[in-house]
Amino acid sequence: MKTLNLEAQNLAALLDAARQNARLIAPVRDGGRICFAEAASPDDIVPHGDYVNPRNSIKEFFFPRSEPLLSFARTDDGLQVEGPDTEFPPTVLFGCRPCDASSLPIMDALYDWDYHDSLWFERRAATTVVSIACTRADESCFCTAVGGAPNGTAGSDLLLTPLPDGLLLAEVLTDKGQALVDQASGLFTEGTGDKQAACRAALDALPPTLDLDAVTRWLADNFESDRWPAFSDKCLGCGCCTFLCPTCHCFDIADEGGYRRGQRRRNWDACQFPLFTLHASGHNPRHDQAARWRQRIEHKFNYYVQKFSVRSCVGCGRCIRHCPVNMNIHAQLSEIAAASAEPAPQSSE
Amino acid sequence: MTAPQEELQQRARALLESDEADVVVGYGAGNHPERTTPVFITRPEDVGELVLNPFCHNNLATWLTRKDLRARYPRIAIVAKEPDIRAVIVLIQEEQIRREDVRLIGVRIDTPGDPDSPCAVLPHTTLEELQEHLKTEFAPRDLTPEQLARLEELEALSPTERWAFWRAQFDKCIRCYACRQACPMCYCDQCIAQMNQPQWIDTSAHPLGNMAWNITRAFHLAGRCINCGECERVCPVDIPLMILNRFLARQVGAHFGYRAGYDAEDYQPFATYKCEDSEDFIL
Repeated sequence: MKTLNLEAQNLAALLDAARQNARLIAPVRDGGRICFAEAASPDDIVPHGDYVNPRNSIKEFFFPRSEPLLSFARTDDGLQVEGPDTEFPPTVLFGCRPCDASSLPIMDALYDWDYHDSLWFERRAATTVVSIACTRADESCFCTAVGGAPNGTAGSDLLLTPLPDGLLLAEVLTDKGQALVDQASGLFTEGTGDKQAACRAALDALPPTLDLDAVTRWLADNFESDRWPAFSDKCLGCGCCTFLCPTCHCFDIADEGGYRRGQRRRNWDACQFPLFTLHASGHNPRHDQAARWRQRIEHKFNYYVQKFSVRSCVGCGRCIRHCPVNMNIHAQLSEIAAASAEPAPQSSE
Repeated sequence: MTAPQEELQQRARALLESDEADVVVGYGAGNHPERTTPVFITRPEDVGELVLNPFCHNNLATWLTRKDLRARYPRIAIVAKEPDIRAVIVLIQEEQIRREDVRLIGVRIDTPGDPDSPCAVLPHTTLEELQEHLKTEFAPRDLTPEQLARLEELEALSPTERWAFWRAQFDKCIRCYACRQACPMCYCDQCIAQMNQPQWIDTSAHPLGNMAWNITRAFHLAGRCINCGECERVCPVDIPLMILNRFLARQVGAHFGYRAGYDAEDYQPFATYKCEDSEDFIL
C-alpha cells in the first residue's frame, strides 16, 4: 500500500478531476439533512467536518431501494422481455466513513453466495470508494466494538485521513484508488502521517469493545430466551433501522403492471415487517415483534457469522441515531455479552 | 431530579402498588441527553427509571393497541402528553380500547424539543377531567403559529406547485413505514400496504408507489389525526407529513365542525351520517 499527502485545500481539485469522467456521489445538503446523493458540483459537497455520518448509508448506490429486474410487453410479435441493464456509469463515491466502506466486502459475501448478483458486482466494479477517516464520533457510533476503526481501510479504494496541519494522508488501497490518484497526480506528494493520532478524539469517544464471540455463542444457545420480549417491547416494527443500515440486504421481488406490460422489480424489504415471513397458508413463523427483532440480531451476529465468517454490522450507529424509539443495539449486545458470561446460561430447549 | 418528574414517578408507583395497572409505559433516558426511549415499568421499585423532560416525544398511546404487550399486561397505563390523550380518546371512540381500561398519567410539555420547556404532571386522573383540560387549556395551544404559517404557505400555492412540492417530498420516501408504526391511529392488524393479494399499493419506492402509499395514509387519517406530529418526527427522510394531516384536519373542521380526540362521546364524521351534513363537496 502506498501513502501520499494531499493538501486539504486541493480536495476540490481532486474531485473536479474525478468528475471529468465519472459521476460524483457525496454528502450534500437536502433541507435539514445531510445525505449521500449525486453532487452537481464539488461546491455542493458538505465539508467532512460537518457530519459524523450522512443520514442514508452508501448501500443504495449498489443496491437501490427499488430497481427493475426486467420489463415485459405483449406485442403482435409475441412476448418481449428486456433487461436488466447491467451497464453502470463510472462513479466516484466520495466522503463516506470507513464503517460504510467496510460494509461493501461484507455484502460481497452475500451477493456472491449461491448466486452471483451481477447488478451488485457491476455497480461495485464501476465505483471508486473514497472514504474519509473520522476525527470525531457521536454517542451512537460503535465501530470499534464490532471490529472496525475510525480509520479502517476495508472496502475503500482510497482512504483520506485529515492530519492536524491542513494535510490529508492518502492511503492508496486498490488499483481503482491508484487510477483516481493518477488522474490528479500533481496534487499528491510522497508522505506519511500518524493516522492513530489524527483519529484520537474519535477513538476516545467510542464505547469499549465487546466480546463478540461470546455474543455469537449466546445467540446460538438462546433462540427461546425470555429476554427477547424485553429487548423488543419498545420496537415499533418499522423498517427505519434496516433501510438505513449499510449491511441489511434483504429484498422482495414484486411484479407490477398488467396483462399488456409490466415490470419485475427488486425492492428493499425488512425482517421487521409482518409480511416478510407470512406464509401463503396464513401462518407466520415470526408472529410478533420479539421474533422479528430477534431475527435482526441473530442474523447479524450469529447466522451471518456461521455462514460467512463475518458479522453483518459495521457500527455506523444509524439504527440507534435515527430509531424512532432510540433502540440501542450496542447496549443490547453489551447485555448479551454479559449474559453469556453468567454461570448458568439458559439453554434453547 | 425535577419536582414534576418525581411526581410522575409517584403516580406510577401508586398505579403499580394499588394493582390498578400491570405495566406503566413511560419514558426513560436515551443514549443522549436529548433523547428518551420508551420503558415498561412493572415493579414499583423501578419507577426511578421514568423521566419527564422536553424530549419525551413518542406517542405512547401507540402501545395501547399492541397485541403482544396486551397479552402479557392486560391493564396498561401510559404516560400521556396532551396530544397522546387525544389519541386515547379516538381509540375509545373507535372501540380499540375500553374506557374502563384506560389508566393515564397526563403530562404537559409546553414546547417539545426545547431544553428550557416547562414540563408538568396534570393533576387530573379521570378521562372526563382530562377531556375538560384538553378543551379549555390545550385547544388554544394545539396548533402552533409556526405550524399554521407553514400550512397556509402551502395552501397559498397553486395546485400545480403543490403537486410538484409533494411529488418531490414523496420521492424521498423509502417505504420504511416508520410513520405508520409510530402513529397511534394506525393500528390495523393488516395495513392495506401489506396486502399483496391483490397488491393494492405498489411496494416499490417509485413515484407511483410512494404517492399511492402516502396519499392513502393521509386519507385514512382524515378526521382522525390528533396532531401529535410523530409521523413527521420519525420520518428518516424528513417528509413534512404533518402539513398534509393538518390540511385535512382543517377541512374536516370546516365541513363538519369536528376536531378529533377532544370528546369520547362524539361521533366521528367519517363513521356516521347526519341529515344536516352539507354535501357541497360531493360532485
